[in-house]
Amino acid sequence: MARTPKTMVRTLDVRGEICPYPMMRTVSALKKLSTDERALEVVTDHAPALETIPTQAARLGFQTDIEETGASEWRIMLTRTEAVEGS
Amino acid sequence: MRTAADRNPALGLTVWATAAVVYVAAHAVDTEFSMFWVFGLAFGFVLQRARFCFASAFRDIFLLGHSRNMKGLLLGLAVASVGFGLVMSRQVPMTSLGVYPPSANVLPLGIHTGLGGLLFGVGMVLAGGCVSGSIYRMGEGYIASWVAFAGVMGGLLLSAYTWNWWWEAHIAAAPRLWLPHWIGHPSALLVTLLALACVYLWVLSVEHRAGMVVPRSSRDQPQPESVSDDLRSVARILFVQGWPVLPAGAVLGGLNVLLFTAQEPWGFTGEVSRWSIGMASLVNAAPGPLAGVEELPGCVLVPSDGLFFNHMFFLVCGMCFGSFAAAVGAGEFKLRVPKRPVRYAQSLGGGVLMGYGSGIAMGCTIGALFSAIPSLAVNGWVFGAFLALGAWIGTHMIQRLE
Repeated sequence: MARTPKTMVRTLDVRGEICPYPMMRTVSALKKLSTDERALEVVTDHAPALETIPTQAARLGFQTDIEETGASEWRIMLTRTEAVEGS
Repeated sequence: MRTAADRNPALGLTVWATAAVVYVAAHAVDTEFSMFWVFGLAFGFVLQRARFCFASAFRDIFLLGHSRNMKGLLLGLAVASVGFGLVMSRQVPMTSLGVYPPSANVLPLGIHTGLGGLLFGVGMVLAGGCVSGSIYRMGEGYIASWVAFAGVMGGLLLSAYTWNWWWEAHIAAAPRLWLPHWIGHPSALLVTLLALACVYLWVLSVEHRAGMVVPRSSRDQPQPESVSDDLRSVARILFVQGWPVLPAGAVLGGLNVLLFTAQEPWGFTGEVSRWSIGMASLVNAAPGPLAGVEELPGCVLVPSDGLFFNHMFFLVCGMCFGSFAAAVGAGEFKLRVPKRPVRYAQSLGGGVLMGYGSGIAMGCTIGALFSAIPSLAVNGWVFGAFLALGAWIGTHMIQRLE
């Protein structure tokens, strides 16, 4: 296949959302990713999501990297792990 | 990783200095005011630092098969039960006489307890936080929580309009069931602790059925090399990093014992009802006299007394301010404005359900649960069971509102 891999990563902005929608909308977005999309970037200002999103993402086969980008704002990068590729 | 970029210690100190000024002013008026202010600050601080949320304790079991907050809640209940048990065994040494400990939350048990718990459970999941959760998130800058709190005030007022019916039909004749009356103090405490252990086993089994995934371990701390290094790292743990849930649960349970020893158990929906009834009376819409409320403990509705301040006022405002101070100190304060209109409707509607539920059940997740189970009262367990049922229903509802 000569298709170039996607370099663009989809971003989901859940700032302002109330509990537990940052986590729920992340899970929905992860489930909707097509198989050639490797990652999803989530922008949130909801601190409790920093504990729930990694767990739920791991259950779906994604690993989590969290970066604090500002006052109570985080960029969460969720990347597909190889183990569940093609599932 | 979290950086120090947006943390402003000077701002944090200013907020704490403001809390101290309020303390001094309140102390000059009434020492009870200042004491409740400090309790409020402590509760709000711990709730914010640990993101200790009673709504998610119930909701996440059904939504995620996840029990972080429920474990903290159970530990807090166990700690408070031991403390309350000791205090009550001194207050009422002879349980065979049929008297009740004066301020423990042994409440009339009936349909109102179950319906109140059910409505509250649905409401707290819809609104994304119970009353204490909304109060601490108000301090963190969540606009939706202010909307939810307005809903709670409205719901409490609605419950006040219907209170006399509930009183006549159900509450007046309802029994107040206190375990030590039947089996004495030691056994009542033992039964309560065993029941908490059973709930713990149940949540563990739910968690393992859902496939437990161990979240990332917390980052490694460098070994402190001097006393000042060590102090800095302790300060970071206390004021900047989020607290783990178990110490927070234990501290909240301990604070509740201290407050009970000092005066009465933790709770505040009675005070919030005083505000909304007071506001209604300003526009001549106050409900009439509320039957029986003077003889009930717990967070029963409080008729407007025409005063602005009382000790409970300082407890509620202290919780909000303590959370605000904690959030500012950790660089976590931010105005969060929901973009979807449905969230405002959810928060308001959830708040009304919580207000009405806590009005007829005479307490919220704090007064009717976190202070009632440690009171060794049966009503706490019934409220908790219906709270769980309501949370389960609410969990289905929020998934349709995504």
